[in-house]
Amino acid sequence: MPEKSIREMNWLERGHYALATKTFRATIIGAIGLGLVAFVIGLGLYAFALGGQYVGTAFNLSRTAKGVLALKSYVDLEPLCSDVYAKYKSLSEEELAKNDTPEYEAIFSEFKDRDDYKKALDTLTYFKQTSDVYDIYLAVYDFDRGCLVYIVDPEDDESFTCYPGYFEYANAKEFNDMISWTEGDKRPYQIENTEKYGWLATSGLPLKNQYGEVYALVLSDVSLSQVGRGMRVFTLQFSLAMFVVVNLVAVFMTLHMKKHLVKPLNDISDAAQNYIKDRRDGRRDATHFSDLHISTGDELENLALIMADMETDLSDYENYLTRVTAEKERVGTELALATRIQADMLPNTFPAFPDRSDIDVYAVMEPAKEVGGDFYDYFLVDEDHLALVIADVSGKGIPAALFMMESKILVSNFAKQGLSPKEVLRQVNLQICDHNKEEMFVTVWLGILDLTSGKMVCANAGHEYPVLKSTKGDFELVKDKHGFVIGGLDCVRYTEYELELEKGAKIFVYTDGVPEATNEIQQLFGTERMLDALNDARDGTPKEIIQSVLWAVDVFVGDAPQFDDMTMLCVHYIGKEEGDDLANSKILTVDAVPDNIEKVTDFVNDELSALDCPLKIQMQIDVAIDELFSNIAHYAYNPDTGPATVMVDIEKDPLAVVITFVDQGRPYDPLKKEDPDVTLSADEREVGGLGIFLVKKTMDDVKYEYKDGKNILTIKKNI
Amino acid sequence: MTVDIIKNENEAVILVAGRIDTATAPDFENAVNAVLQAFDNVIFDFKDLDYISSAGLRVMLRSQKSINAKFGTLKVINANETVAEIFEVTGFSSIIDIE
Repeated sequence: MPEKSIREMNWLERGHYALATKTFRATIIGAIGLGLVAFVIGLGLYAFALGGQYVGTAFNLSRTAKGVLALKSYVDLEPLCSDVYAKYKSLSEEELAKNDTPEYEAIFSEFKDRDDYKKALDTLTYFKQTSDVYDIYLAVYDFDRGCLVYIVDPEDDESFTCYPGYFEYANAKEFNDMISWTEGDKRPYQIENTEKYGWLATSGLPLKNQYGEVYALVLSDVSLSQVGRGMRVFTLQFSLAMFVVVNLVAVFMTLHMKKHLVKPLNDISDAAQNYIKDRRDGRRDATHFSDLHISTGDELENLALIMADMETDLSDYENYLTRVTAEKERVGTELALATRIQADMLPNTFPAFPDRSDIDVYAVMEPAKEVGGDFYDYFLVDEDHLALVIADVSGKGIPAALFMMESKILVSNFAKQGLSPKEVLRQVNLQICDHNKEEMFVTVWLGILDLTSGKMVCANAGHEYPVLKSTKGDFELVKDKHGFVIGGLDCVRYTEYELELEKGAKIFVYTDGVPEATNEIQQLFGTERMLDALNDARDGTPKEIIQSVLWAVDVFVGDAPQFDDMTMLCVHYIGKEEGDDLANSKILTVDAVPDNIEKVTDFVNDELSALDCPLKIQMQIDVAIDELFSNIAHYAYNPDTGPATVMVDIEKDPLAVVITFVDQGRPYDPLKKEDPDVTLSADEREVGGLGIFLVKKTMDDVKYEYKDGKNILTIKKNI
Repeated sequence: MTVDIIKNENEAVILVAGRIDTATAPDFENAVNAVLQAFDNVIFDFKDLDYISSAGLRVMLRSQKSINAKFGTLKVINANETVAEIFEVTGFSSIIDIE
């Protein structure tokens, strides 16, 4: 195993670990291993066969010689053998110890002159000269001493000559085989490495007299030095042949491997590489694997087919994913839009009633999802009646939001018709039940506060308890009687109850998202904590009170996700100042357009008519209204339009009328405008700047103030 | 506001009743412009006029300039106290001939 990954290797190292190289090496090692085994076996067989052949040669020669020597007509060698052996046997140990010395040789010299000895020597010499035999000789084996006693031994070298009676120690077993040999037996032989003669194979046969008694052995020695030389030649030839064959096989195997394994593999890996490159470049419709044509019929073809399938599947899946993502984004955008539309449905400019000092209202809606089903609402039914609504639609998301829209519009429409709260709820319920196939429902709390008396008529359709704070007391739950939710049953009638709000009292209504806000250990925020949070800020403005609750919920919930919408509405009933009753502000809010000048003038004249106002003064006031309101209509919101509020207050001692014009247009102080020069001639005079100048001249006091994003212009005229 | 025009031989009398304000000033101006094209001498009879706002004053100023240009005469008669005071404080009484 290489120590580093293929990506870290240079081309040389890659070549080293390449499949072709590995195949080449494996083939060579395998072939060499096989060759060695074959070599050992071949060599053994060769040696065995050659050895057998030499043994055969020796045996056949001995057999031939035996045949010749055994011929009676030739010569009877038994006497010679018996005589020599008898002489040898008669020697003492001392004399025997002189073996292989001239002195010992002299003991047997008499036999060399015998005719039978000479004849046998001639015969054996002839055999020796006419064959490949190393030696052929006649001997007797002495079982007592384990010695081979030579009788006749033809020699061409004096140093190796074995004269009659000379003996050598030799292994008895092989000679026993030779002595007891009869026709049909295995060839008896021995192979030994002698110090004197080197490697020799010896085979011998017995010579027997007429009684079948063995009196001598005919022995042939064949030198095995030929065998060694043959083996060397065999080794050389075999090695050469193997080198050539091994290399040929390795090259062939490598080429085969390259064609059928490495090339398809490289094709697949190239396809994979191109595939990755294409994907990085953003191309998705590539068909690298599908274009591969590997028809090896094996696992490689299977791999290529699987990769092609994977490529197609991946491409399909990606297209699907792209479509789904686009769709999701579209839905996301529309949801964001829906959220904005929903938020814009609810009144959310604060202060809610800038021109009123008797009430302060604040509200929030925090949807848990993009759009929620909660809503709050507040509006003036008329000058003296403020309607407050808080509601919670069942379910969440878009369906809840749609249902919420309808509910909100219905509640405000019926309430603005001047119906009492229980009647509003009954009508809304009837309308909704009429087409509520989805069986959604909404809980609603509706209260209508009489701003002059502080009496508040409320009805509750399955909503949370409202929380009331008396002027000096704490916030406390009002355990009111709940009617059934709206949208559940079409025949429901609602009851209403009355709360007396002192001046300075505060009322707080909310949806269940507040008490049911949950922290990470599944504890509910609860109404107790909510009341604590309310009382922590009990002397604050409605905004401060709601923020206190929001903050408390936030701390309590921690990192746990918000599951429900949280909506709160808080009203501070300040009431009118003592003694204000005589001089109630009269308020009219209209669109700032020139067509409404008459409406405003009539509104103010109505107030003036009760005061016995002289006609001239009324005319002057009418002119002032015309000038100021047309200014607002033309310039405050140009080119758009917006609301303008006109308030009329009557002051006593001295009797005076105070008219205040409020608009939320661009800041503009008309009093800063320079007065026109009234002394100029007609041709020199400009047409502009007359209106405000006229107002300043005819009114007793004109004041301008820019406050809280509003232009506030007040005129006063003594009556 | 209503406007009546009495055409004499070389002068026209414009009778205005009601109020000349932002809403009615454009009608008043149209009526006056029509008269000014035909006559060099114009009399505004304001006996039934309740009040006049700056929009009406602008029409009066333009009329005076137009009359001056062709050397005619412009006269306001029978203005009530309110209207007279408006002419007074705005300096129009020194420009326009008010009887």
